[in-house]
Amino acid sequence: MLIALNDIVHILYFVMVGFFAIFLIKQFFKREKKRGMVYDIVYAYVIMVFLLRLFYIK
Amino acid sequence: MYLQATIVLIAMIATFAISSWKLKSTELSMVVTAIVGALVGGFGFPARLLVEGMFTFFDVGMTFITAAIFINIYSATGAMDAIVRAIVQNFHSKKWIVFILLGGIMLIPGALTGAGSVSIFVVGGMVSTVLGYMGLGKKKVVGFVFMFAVLSAVCPPINLWAMLMCAQANMPYVGFDIPLLAPLLVIGTFTIIFFGWGAKPKDKQEILDQLPEPIEGMNWIRISLPLISLVVLFLMQKYLAFYLPVLGLPLTFIICALISILCSPKRKGIKSWFSTINVTMEQVFPLLATVISVGTLVNIMTATGVRGLIAITFVTLPVVLIYVAALFFLPFAQGSLSYGSAVILGTPIIFLFNSIGVNVTIVAAALSFMFPLGDALPPSRIVGRVTISTVEYEGSYMSFLKAIMIPAAFMGGVALLMLIFANKFSFLVVY
Repeated sequence: MLIALNDIVHILYFVMVGFFAIFLIKQFFKREKKRGMVYDIVYAYVIMVFLLRLFYIK
Repeated sequence: MYLQATIVLIAMIATFAISSWKLKSTELSMVVTAIVGALVGGFGFPARLLVEGMFTFFDVGMTFITAAIFINIYSATGAMDAIVRAIVQNFHSKKWIVFILLGGIMLIPGALTGAGSVSIFVVGGMVSTVLGYMGLGKKKVVGFVFMFAVLSAVCPPINLWAMLMCAQANMPYVGFDIPLLAPLLVIGTFTIIFFGWGAKPKDKQEILDQLPEPIEGMNWIRISLPLISLVVLFLMQKYLAFYLPVLGLPLTFIICALISILCSPKRKGIKSWFSTINVTMEQVFPLLATVISVGTLVNIMTATGVRGLIAITFVTLPVVLIYVAALFFLPFAQGSLSYGSAVILGTPIIFLFNSIGVNVTIVAAALSFMFPLGDALPPSRIVGRVTISTVEYEGSYMSFLKAIMIPAAFMGGVALLMLIFANKFSFLVVY
């Protein structure tokens, strides 16, 4: 039972990562603060980290 | 080996200084510094090391996001406004109690997220309004908000400096509650007395008129249930660990955010909550980017031997020199490397004190009171800048630094005493 629950928590973790990645991708294109190319680059590599985790690559 | 690591270190310092100046982004500067460090160290373009490094503090970043989402959703329900209003209504004539409660409110968001800037984002504006009406001048208000913001970052359960040092030094993040809370009480009391002395409160009704109107249907059950749930979940994970799945901090915060939504007296649509999350994500992004970038920097420093060089230098220093230099170097390291300072300078100090038989839990707690002082120092000045813009302080940055100088020096002094007499304070460590 506890193992099954732990598996569910594990899946929920990936759901959270995906959920936050969507917001980050949205903000990559449209955001209020921290505009400019420098923060485009910062957003790009932060999004990359979330996608790598989401797709179980890393 | 020493010479090569020293050359890489010099190249990295120069790159960091130039890129911080040109790019105006500490986060990207750290990644650029890491790449240059790898190139000078003979690793070529370090794609694998960069990606691996980005995941070092990924879970810390997840805790950041989820905790900030919880506290912002909680605030969006009107609960935080209700707490501030209740404080003014019930304790207006007792100004010291108001200051203590406002300080306490400032501590909550930072304590849950590990970031002082979140405290300012969430309650800083409200607290500064009330402080103004309680008779404090702008200079004192900006000092009060800044000091409690940095204290909130130190406050348990989430103290990122201690957590990062523990992660790097292979020690468990347990037993920190009292070693962090006891000095925090002393420093908090001093800060309140220092800034609150001589304040003459304005009329109670005038203050209440300036605060947001209370939301219909808000009651103490709705206000307290999300916070109680959080405490219960923390305690259950600690004391019923064998009967529960491992929830982890991110999921705990998300559960409490959902409870906050259910407790909200305002029936908002899903779009409104999504908008709150969107704002929160933008708010915490600099912190998230910092912890991810720090990971790459630390990874490259490890690969090139720079971290080992710094660690060896620190470990072989006479302890007296650490006592003398810590209060100067650690805050400035925080100003430039943000949380990376805890990993790069804090961990070698932990190893040094461990090797001479000093209680490392107290040492880590003491160091975590020194690092946040750098949140007001260049180049990043994250908390300092956020405080000034939130409080709408119009004086110069130097005048802000002067305003916080005495309580900040007191905080540094307390931390230094803890560091020097660490073993005498070991009774504070309770598991």
